[in-house]
Order: sequence, then C-alpha cells, then structure tokens
Amino acid sequence: MYSIDFNIIAEALPELARGIKLTIFISAVSSLAAFAIGLVTVFARTMATGPYGTAGAIYVEIIRNTPLLLQLYFVYKALPDLGVQFPPVVCGIVALSIYTGAYISEVLRAGINSVTNEQYQAARGLGLSNLQAFALVVFPQAIRVVIPPLSSQFINLVKNSSLVSFIAVSDVFYVVYKGAADDFRFFEFFITGALVYMLLTGFIAVVSNIIEKNVRVPGGEARI
Amino acid sequence: MHWEDIFNNFGFLMRGLAVTFQLAAVSVAGSLIIGTVLGIIRYLRIFPLSLVAAGYIESVRSIPLILFIVFIHFGFLPFILGSESSFFVSSGIALVVFTSAYVAEIVRGGLNSIEKGHLDAAISLGLTRFQRLAYVILPLALGRMMPALVSQFIALIKDTSLASTIGLIELTRSGEIIYERTYHELEVLLFIAFIYFVICFSLSKLGKKLETKPYMVSETKERLYA
Repeated sequence: MYSIDFNIIAEALPELARGIKLTIFISAVSSLAAFAIGLVTVFARTMATGPYGTAGAIYVEIIRNTPLLLQLYFVYKALPDLGVQFPPVVCGIVALSIYTGAYISEVLRAGINSVTNEQYQAARGLGLSNLQAFALVVFPQAIRVVIPPLSSQFINLVKNSSLVSFIAVSDVFYVVYKGAADDFRFFEFFITGALVYMLLTGFIAVVSNIIEKNVRVPGGEARI
Repeated sequence: MHWEDIFNNFGFLMRGLAVTFQLAAVSVAGSLIIGTVLGIIRYLRIFPLSLVAAGYIESVRSIPLILFIVFIHFGFLPFILGSESSFFVSSGIALVVFTSAYVAEIVRGGLNSIEKGHLDAAISLGLTRFQRLAYVILPLALGRMMPALVSQFIALIKDTSLASTIGLIELTRSGEIIYERTYHELEVLLFIAFIYFVICFSLSKLGKKLETKPYMVSETKERLYA
C-alpha cells in the first residue's frame, strides 16, 4: 500500500530551492523582456507608420498560433542548424519572452484602444511628437486599465516557464519530475510542485491587486 | 534544406496530426461539459458545491498543465487503475481537468454579464429557475462567451503538443521522431509549426465570425492613432 511520506521532500529540499530560484530567475528576466517586446510591438501596431504595423501583426499572429513547446524546441534545436547557439537557460528566456511578448502586446493594444482618440489628437495638437503622445498621454492611461489581464499574462509566464525543463534546464518542474520518477513518489512531489506554483502565481496576483488599487484613476470607476 | 524529410514521412506526420485532432476533440467536449457545469454551479451559488468549484478552479488555474499531464499519467492513473493507462487517456484527462477550469470562468463571466432585466422578465413570465437558466440566460450568454471559448480552445489545441512529453505520438512527437533520426530539426519544426498555425489561425478567424454582433467587443481598430 502506498503511504504518503513527506520526509522525501525534506531530503530533496536543497535541490528544490535551486529549482525554485531558477524558475523565479527565468520568469523575472522573461517578464521584463516580454514587457519590453510587447511595448515595442504595440507602438508599431498602433502608432508607427509604414511596414512596422504589418510586421508587428505578423509577429503576433505567428507566435500566438503556434505552441510554446515548438518555439522552445525551435530556439534550442533548430537555431543551432543556422549557426546560432545559446545555453539552455538563455534559449528558455528567449522563447518565453518572445511568446509572452506577443500576448502582452495584445493586452496593451486593448488598453490603448480604450483610450479615446481625442486624447491623442489633443496631445498632437499641443505639439507633442508621435512618440511623446504615446509615452506621455496615451500609454499612462492605457496601462491602468489593463493591469488585471497583464498580471494574468505574467502568471501564465510563470506557469509556462515549466516547459523549459524539456530543453534541459533544471527548473522547479524538472526537480519535481525527476524526484518523483527517481523515488517513485508522485503524490508528494506533485503536491509540492503544485504548491510552489500556486505560491508564485498567488504572489503575482496579490502584487497586481495592490498596484491596481494604487494607480486607479480617481473617479474613473464610474465611467468604466 | 532537407524538405525531403517532410515528403518521405508525410503519412507519418498526418497520422500524428489525426491523433492531435482526436485528442483536441475529446478534450474540447469534456472540458465544455465539466466547465459549463462548474460555471453554472458558481453562477447559481449552490452552497457547498460552489465553494468546491471555486477551490478547484482557482487551484487548477495556478498550476502548469504539464504538471497535470505528467502526474496524471505517472502518478494518479497507475495508482487508481493499478496499471499504466494509455498516453491518450492520460493526456485527455489532464487537458480536460485543466481546460474545464478556464471554461468554467468563461461560462460564469458570460452568465454574470446578462442584464438583470432579462432575469426579471423571465421571473415575471413565471419560468422556473431551471427554465430561466436554460431558455433565457444561457442562450443569451452563449453569444458573449463565444470569442473567449474559441480562444480557449485554440489554446487547448496548442496545449495538446504537451502530450508529446509523456510519449503520445501526436503531431509534435511524430516530428521529433523524424528529426531525432535525420537531425534536420529546422525543416521539421518549421513544417509542424506551419500546420499548427494554419489550424489555429483559421479557427481564430472562424471565431471572429461566430461572435454575435450586438454583444461583441468592437473590432479593435488597427492604427487607431496613426
């Protein structure tokens, strides 16, 4: 009979801690990079003229309509064929940033579309450049509206970061999977892994709630 | 470039694609049924059940899918059945468990979005609680839920690729088997990605058509400010 024995987790604790640290590191770096990519893409799609908008749209559609696992494999296994080689952790960060960046740009675009056109026209009328109107007038209003969907993208990013274990990165999922398979202790390791991810994503949810409360436009609730 | 790998193994890849389709179809059906039930339970606030549903939804949504696939296949099912189950069944169950939580939230959101006037009208017409839900609220909500449901099922089709990690020979795994032999990763991965893209992109275009006009979020305008 199978009996639950959590001592096995205590023994695996140092390795788990290393895995958690790596997951947090990959998620944090990818979050920043993905936000930057999303920002550039959304600027290209809503503000820039010329071919940039089309390029942004093609990027978003390709990335959103193919599985992340394939994109990870592509960066890790196919790019070396073309002479581009990164260490596994970098591959994971690159693929996760590009993937999440496409989703973040869509979230930001929804926010920007919720800011009325008059705001932009007034900004341009006051003599601001296209970039200034975006950065100083439209974007600050847009970002407040999209904090909840934005935070769910970061939550998805943390969960998706578990896939880097399939390109030889020993993140927390890798440690949990390996521990479970080696000792044949699936329940203990599953519960541990699930708790770790719930804590990480819960942390993001709490922080986003606090930010949302603090940056809310006073009196803005009634309009939305 | 070595595109002959694709031509020589085309039948094998298409068999993988068929498995991907079957897995996606089974999971869509399963998660739609369970998700709708959970969503309705939360909408109606059926007391002890709604708490269970909320706990299930919140915890599932904060755990990665791959954890479910791996542990349902190697942990739960062998424990319950006493022997290992098939890759297809394990990944199907995992996908249903995972996606139904998301579907439940979409259903609940759709039901909550229906204006109270409809409910008042239904009550004043003497409809029972079940009739109000089945004939008034649910059909109205379905139109509003459609865009979110379609994008959730697109995500599910992409997620079926994770079944390759436990060994189910669906599209991704069949591609892996080919390039593990020929070492032409680039061509095979590009081709598989292209297939996923065609499926998901056309589905998302189809989903746009399914949106019921009066309730949909207005078509986001490209270059609103340009």
